[in-house]
Amino acid sequence: MNTYFKIIFILTFLCAQAPLDLVIDTNERDVQINPGISGTRVVLFGATPIGRRDIMIEIVGPPKNQTMQEKRRFFGIWLGRGKSYYTNVPSYYNILSSKPFMEITSQKNLNKLGLGIENLPLGKAKIKHSTVKQVKFDNRLRSEMYDKGQFLEKEGNVILKSGPGKVGLFKTEFLLPPNSLQGKYFIRYFLFQNGEAISYAESSIDLKQAGFARLIWLFANKFALLYGIIAIILSGLLGWIVSILFTRLKLI
Amino acid sequence: MELYLPIAELSINPIIFLILGMLVGILSGMFGVGGGFLMTPLLILLGIPPAVAVASEANHIVGSSLSGTIGHLKRNAVDIKLGNLLLVGGMLGSFVGISIFNSLIKVGLIDLLITLTYFLFLTSIGSFMLYESLDSMGFFSKKKRSKPYHHSWIMGLPFRMRFKKSGLYISIIPPLTIGFIVGILASIMGVGGGFIMIPAMIYIIRMPTSVVIGTSLYQIIFVTAIVTLLHSYHNQTVDIVLALILLLGGAVGAQIGVKLSSKLQGPMLRASLAVLVLSVGIIMASDLLIRPSETITLLIGGGSH
Repeated sequence: MNTYFKIIFILTFLCAQAPLDLVIDTNERDVQINPGISGTRVVLFGATPIGRRDIMIEIVGPPKNQTMQEKRRFFGIWLGRGKSYYTNVPSYYNILSSKPFMEITSQKNLNKLGLGIENLPLGKAKIKHSTVKQVKFDNRLRSEMYDKGQFLEKEGNVILKSGPGKVGLFKTEFLLPPNSLQGKYFIRYFLFQNGEAISYAESSIDLKQAGFARLIWLFANKFALLYGIIAIILSGLLGWIVSILFTRLKLI
Repeated sequence: MELYLPIAELSINPIIFLILGMLVGILSGMFGVGGGFLMTPLLILLGIPPAVAVASEANHIVGSSLSGTIGHLKRNAVDIKLGNLLLVGGMLGSFVGISIFNSLIKVGLIDLLITLTYFLFLTSIGSFMLYESLDSMGFFSKKKRSKPYHHSWIMGLPFRMRFKKSGLYISIIPPLTIGFIVGILASIMGVGGGFIMIPAMIYIIRMPTSVVIGTSLYQIIFVTAIVTLLHSYHNQTVDIVLALILLLGGAVGAQIGVKLSSKLQGPMLRASLAVLVLSVGIIMASDLLIRPSETITLLIGGGSH
């Protein structure tokens, strides 16, 4: 946990004339990370108007291709022939809130606003060799992503504090797993009062790998053929060196 | 201790992968298989995306089979001439195999084909080799055993050539054909094909077991080099860091394996390979026959779109 810390300041300004507006700094932020085995911790904090208000924050990672397979029995053998191809599944989803969801608002409101794992759009899937409806594939995909820790719901993880004057402060943090996809992570802020969403704002962070790993990745993608040749030569060279070492040193 | 893999895009513990590479390397040096049919499922199990696992594994085998080949060359146990012949057939076969693969993807039957080829080949080759090797160790009967290296009519076909290292004077048609068929199967199954090629070399071409291993490794170098190049060019899935870690362990393991193979006798060596192949086949079969707990699952790696 304590390997890498990246703190991102997303400030929410209180506008005195229009106290219901949630205004945030819209500058995009490039986050260069050296991903560690324990992932990258992101801290979000900002300011809101005080009072009986609650916050829900949603983080949606860059989209990824996913394939679900449906196993059926053919002549006594279980085969995964049925496939459902998705092209737009968020690689990461997390929703944080200042209280349990049901204390903030109603399920109906959550559905309307599209908040929570079960409301997360997964896009239209291309289903092949299967008669199963997409809803069923969708539900299994959601629960598998949840089990893998890529779709998260952290109720009550946003801390609200009163600040100077009429300003309230909020703070929360989340962990991007070590295999998080590079790209844009959208962060959406919802301010609730008496169960209704009264304000909305969004920002984003751009996750990029830094250092040597990034260089290798760029090289593999920009000069694919040369990369392949180098990979073969390096592998052959290492194999050759080891065999020479073994003979020279008479290790065995 | 942790290391970031740039293409697989995740962090791993290199020690685990070093040990894994070494264990598979020992098998590779001992039996002359590349080890892809063992390593690829293990890598996927450890969380490496399948496309990256297959491609980086090919890259790893280039080095480990080279290391093994050098070891066998020193013992004068590589028939380069015969190896080249198998290789030519193998190259032609893999082009045919890839086009079969692509046309089956379109009709959605590729999984059925892959699973069935794996299952049928692993179990039938495994049980046949096990039976034969136990038989030649004298387990089943005391009666006179058939001579292992007799000449059949197939080898008497035209275009005969002398292969000094193997002590054979045979037609070049069977090695070319075998190389071709193995090439087709190997590219469908996404493996180097060592575990199919070796039994074919022993039982059909009748090469001496001692030469088979080195010769098989020799041609695996070239097959996996081409696979590495194709994957890196078309899919950018070769993780050089992963391959080199596996190789550090693998090249050392291959040397140990070569030493071990010279200590073990032919039938014993064949019996051990048979047990290995058979157990992988049985594990795959159980996956086919047991009802899955969930019929709809996420296909790790996203599959082909």
